[in-house]
Amino acid sequence: MGSELVESPAPPSSITYTEQFYENFPFYLSIGMTYDQYWNDDCTLTKYYRKAHEIKNARKNQELWLQGMYVYDALCKVSPILHAFAKSGTKPEPYPTKPYPVTKEEIKETTEQRRKADRQKAKASFMNWANQLKLPSAKEDVKKNGTNNR
Amino acid sequence: MAKQIKFEYDGNEYTLEFTRKSIEQMERQGFVASEITEKPMLTLPALFAGAFLAHHRYLKREIVDKIFDKFTNKQELIGKLAEMYNEPILALMDEPEESEGNIQWGASW
Repeated sequence: MGSELVESPAPPSSITYTEQFYENFPFYLSIGMTYDQYWNDDCTLTKYYRKAHEIKNARKNQELWLQGMYVYDALCKVSPILHAFAKSGTKPEPYPTKPYPVTKEEIKETTEQRRKADRQKAKASFMNWANQLKLPSAKEDVKKNGTNNR
Repeated sequence: MAKQIKFEYDGNEYTLEFTRKSIEQMERQGFVASEITEKPMLTLPALFAGAFLAHHRYLKREIVDKIFDKFTNKQELIGKLAEMYNEPILALMDEPEESEGNIQWGASW
């Protein structure tokens, strides 16, 4: 029972190539292909238009994501003053002075700058700490011991 | 780059290629690719003639038929023509390939 469904040959496809071409035509028009390119030019152009369309979509997605990040960042920065019971004099955090690094070079440069700033900060705090200890200077050392131990 | 067959006949250079427009025209004139196995004697010359529409639209059918008669290795030619005929529809689905070479075709006379 029901074997007739399995055994009967599938009906031949009645869709012609022309119908397929017309069915796909609006999509290719929408991604920038011209009538002439689609119908009369190199038929493989459609592959490249489709690939270009994918790249465009990915780039647009990236841009929208980045825009969302900026909006989110701005909201976070301003959130201290949006608080209903914020203390008087509360200020929002400053908005980033530079755009987010996107390229490899920019990322490398930013990382390097941050590392340099951290080193400077560590050096300054160490100097402060050393000054607070009032360690004897090298000159005083020489006077006391008569030799330079360095 | 679309697949093409290039050859020289009687001092003229010819390029065989199928575009979507030429396939549309062929189908409008009654060409059915699936009949290639049932009616090869009718379908094969029509397929060959259709390949002229893209670059040599106004070439007389008599000349096309003469050229077809002079072509050697028809078995391989038909295979290649069928491949070329399918290309416009496949290009609507396939991903771009790294290297797509044209068929190097040389007439033996």
